[in-house]
Amino acid sequence: MTFIQGFQSLYLHIPFCKTKCTYCAFNAYANMDTLVNDFVDALVREVEIVGRSRPGQQLHTIYFGGGTPSLLSPGQFERLLSTIHALFNVKSGSEISLEANPNDLDAPYLTALRQLGFNRLSIGMQSAHQNELRLFARRHDNDAVARAVSAARRAGFANLNLDLIYGFPHQTMTTWKASLVQMMALQPDHVSLYALGVEEGTPLERWIARGELPEPDDDLAADMYDLATDILGQGGFEQYEISNWAKPGYECRHNLQYWRNLPYPGVGPGAHGWAGGVRYSTILAPQKYIQALKSSVGDYVYPRTPATVEALEVDRPGEIVDTLLMGLRLTREGIQRAAFRERFGEDVVTLYPALMNRFSAQGLLRIDADTVRLTTEGRLLSNMIFRELV
Amino acid sequence: MSQEHIRNFSIIAHIDHGKSTLADRMLQLTQTVSDREMHAQLLDSMDLERERGVTIKASAVRMKYLAKDGQLYVLNLIDTPGHVDFSYEVSRALQACEGAILVVDASQGVEAQTLANLYLALEQDLELLPVINKIDLPAARPKDIAKELEDLLGVSADGMIPISAKQGTGIQDVLEAIIKQVPPPKGDANAPLRALVFDSHYDSYKGVIAYVRVFEGRLQKRDILRLIATDAKFEPVEIGVFSPDMRAVNTLEVGEVGYIATGFKTVRECRVGDTITLATNGASEPLPGYKQVKSMVFAGFYPTNNDDYPDLRDALEKLQLNDASLIYEPETSQALNFGFRVGFLGLFHMEIVQERLEREYDLDILATAPSVEYQVVKTNGELVTIDSPAQLPDESVISEIREPWMKIQIYTPQEFIGPIMDLAIKKHAEYETTEYLDTQRVILHYRIPLSEVIVDFFDRLKSASKGYASLDYQFDGYRTGDLVKLDILVNNEPVDALAIIVHRDDAYHKGQKLISKLKDLIPRQQFVVPIQAATGKRVISRANVKALRKDVLAKCYGGDITRKKKLLEKQKKGKKRMKMIGSVEVPQEAFMALLSLDDD
Repeated sequence: MTFIQGFQSLYLHIPFCKTKCTYCAFNAYANMDTLVNDFVDALVREVEIVGRSRPGQQLHTIYFGGGTPSLLSPGQFERLLSTIHALFNVKSGSEISLEANPNDLDAPYLTALRQLGFNRLSIGMQSAHQNELRLFARRHDNDAVARAVSAARRAGFANLNLDLIYGFPHQTMTTWKASLVQMMALQPDHVSLYALGVEEGTPLERWIARGELPEPDDDLAADMYDLATDILGQGGFEQYEISNWAKPGYECRHNLQYWRNLPYPGVGPGAHGWAGGVRYSTILAPQKYIQALKSSVGDYVYPRTPATVEALEVDRPGEIVDTLLMGLRLTREGIQRAAFRERFGEDVVTLYPALMNRFSAQGLLRIDADTVRLTTEGRLLSNMIFRELV
Repeated sequence: MSQEHIRNFSIIAHIDHGKSTLADRMLQLTQTVSDREMHAQLLDSMDLERERGVTIKASAVRMKYLAKDGQLYVLNLIDTPGHVDFSYEVSRALQACEGAILVVDASQGVEAQTLANLYLALEQDLELLPVINKIDLPAARPKDIAKELEDLLGVSADGMIPISAKQGTGIQDVLEAIIKQVPPPKGDANAPLRALVFDSHYDSYKGVIAYVRVFEGRLQKRDILRLIATDAKFEPVEIGVFSPDMRAVNTLEVGEVGYIATGFKTVRECRVGDTITLATNGASEPLPGYKQVKSMVFAGFYPTNNDDYPDLRDALEKLQLNDASLIYEPETSQALNFGFRVGFLGLFHMEIVQERLEREYDLDILATAPSVEYQVVKTNGELVTIDSPAQLPDESVISEIREPWMKIQIYTPQEFIGPIMDLAIKKHAEYETTEYLDTQRVILHYRIPLSEVIVDFFDRLKSASKGYASLDYQFDGYRTGDLVKLDILVNNEPVDALAIIVHRDDAYHKGQKLISKLKDLIPRQQFVVPIQAATGKRVISRANVKALRKDVLAKCYGGDITRKKKLLEKQKKGKKRMKMIGSVEVPQEAFMALLSLDDD
């Protein structure tokens, strides 16, 4: 285990949604509104256990993900954030992000969020077409995204991300291009484009299995990716991760923490965390999560909390693999050879001489004096590399 | 022990009809093995056998039984392998017996597969004891089954013994019947020694252990011995009996069954079917029926990972210690690098060897499609023998190609004659005759090219007969055939390991089928991969495997790398059985694709 000092990133998982999207396999639940208050109490307690275990721990990013975190009220956020501020050393200028459904983002709510210290919003746009949004069972329409973006700007949000999905059934190059163009017109600072993964247990998977929807076409998805790369590039965005683009200086610092394989405590049901040499995950079901944090009185020392279900000590080889799998996703930064040497005492290229040679000869990796990173071709074929590393 | 008190017998049964359980019960009842020592199915000691429910190698156990007549008997149970590939070994094991128990499942009845071994037993003139097993099952119909057996064997249903090997009922009746009905061995105790080798295995301390039945004379522990067929002389390390562990004795008398630790290093030096006699003043004539079994099916075995070549060689060497019918020699393939050409008795034998290499020796191997041995007459009159399509000389110097033909007997209920005849026509078989066993069952006699049998004949026969038909075969002879080599080119390079020899009439059809299969089997690579089938210079069929464009995980949910790694590991396992040919990954299935060209 390599002990890494310095700033950490706190992830809070909010598992509630008003409606569940048809592609979604995340730990998120609709129709559990009645649990929200108890849940916030439980989450506050879990944050306290983490904070008390590591007095004075510095944080530089806080990220509320979900689910739909924008279902929480400003008051609930205030409780959570004041607990965080009381127990952690939150660096000034920290990135505090919220994932949001555009329908939830009205002016008063946005103003309240700003006052609480939120400075980044990630808005789920997904598509600019009504029929595509309906396929996903998104509860917003396209206008809601435009309204939310302009309201967020007026409220003072200087860092906005928009998500789009591509490569799904019945999507065409034409509709994809229109989604991209409309998204660009909204002038986000950061863009995430996710290829649809057909996840087990989702309605989308069932529909495809029953033949009611065509299977996603990987070749078409690859063309869509190439088109997006062009359009975003022309619009002044720089790609910095396989699925992420940003205007210079607007890279998501919280996600960079993951990709650099640096520690992040994760709290809330179904959260994942990586801290103190341990990778762990927490209880999935909100009800059980609430119960676990209510009933327990024992002395928990993070990275174990009453909500922990799996905890895996990561040894040095494991940490090296994780660092490569995550780091190579960073298309611009890649693996910084000097930083890697400092962390693990070995050069990444001499550690995997045969693989590095092969992937560089195959045109998937570019290796130069300072960095190892994916080539343009390697971005969409990165699993060919990652499979050999695990 | 006098000959009068010896009984040598074996058990014939269809898979799952309870042979091993019955054997276990006999061992318990005779206290050969204590209940505590008993582990299920003692006779089938290899894991693989247990899983497949078939006995691959025979073994022999000696039991002492105090019969109801108050006398002590020695019962030798000789186990037999249960597959047509090993029919020669079965015949030698049966030759060592005077009787056979025919075990039939009380709910299933006689299955066609049992018939081949049953007929081998009748050929050896064995006394048959029909036993109806699993009478405890709710679906048991012992009366109907007995009637069925009566019709089939012409023996009275009254004498058939109902048992439940699982519950241990009726076992003593079986033992008593053996005493009463199986004749004791006959043989001249004063004649020169003649002992039949009916099986063997390799023991790392004592060398090759020959399983023997003394037919004439007497075997003593200090005798210098001679194998008649190979004319090899040796001094045994030890002689003994299996009870069931090896127990040394001073003599094996006429009629007895036991073992000789020969000190030989491989089972090939002491072949099944050979006769052992004394080195001086021994018998001059061997016991009847010896033949050297010949490999009929050949395939290339290559390590998936080239570095494993020495391990594969060592593993084959070890398997060969115990398997006289396994032959191999080094082979080099342009596509697959270094490997071995391995000869087998049949497809089943090949599967067993492949599985043992993978399981017991933890090797990932890639097997090429099986081939037969062809004789090629060149234009200069020279005759060459080849067992791999890659060895076929250039078309311009070939005058003719001869291929091995088999005589086959298909045992089937009559209702499936139609579909089986259709299959036979497709496979270029020549009809000989139909033999009626009874009102329901027939034996269809055909001659057929062996190459057609080894491809998918057995599976197709099973599906044409709803699983009822079974097959027995013998080598018939070589015949000239209109044969051509079908080359497969992957990424414009001929892949020697994918080439096959086919009948000219089938070349076009098989080429097209093969390409359309390969197109789906070869995973997409970073670039477009053309694949072609060709005879000589003529391309019969071609298709492209499209380039791979997207192989990526879009998102790591909340930094969850654990799940992502599991997914990647799973995918990696799937890739393990791929072989790089040039820069193209080709899966094992591609090499076996031609085994299922006629699926639809």
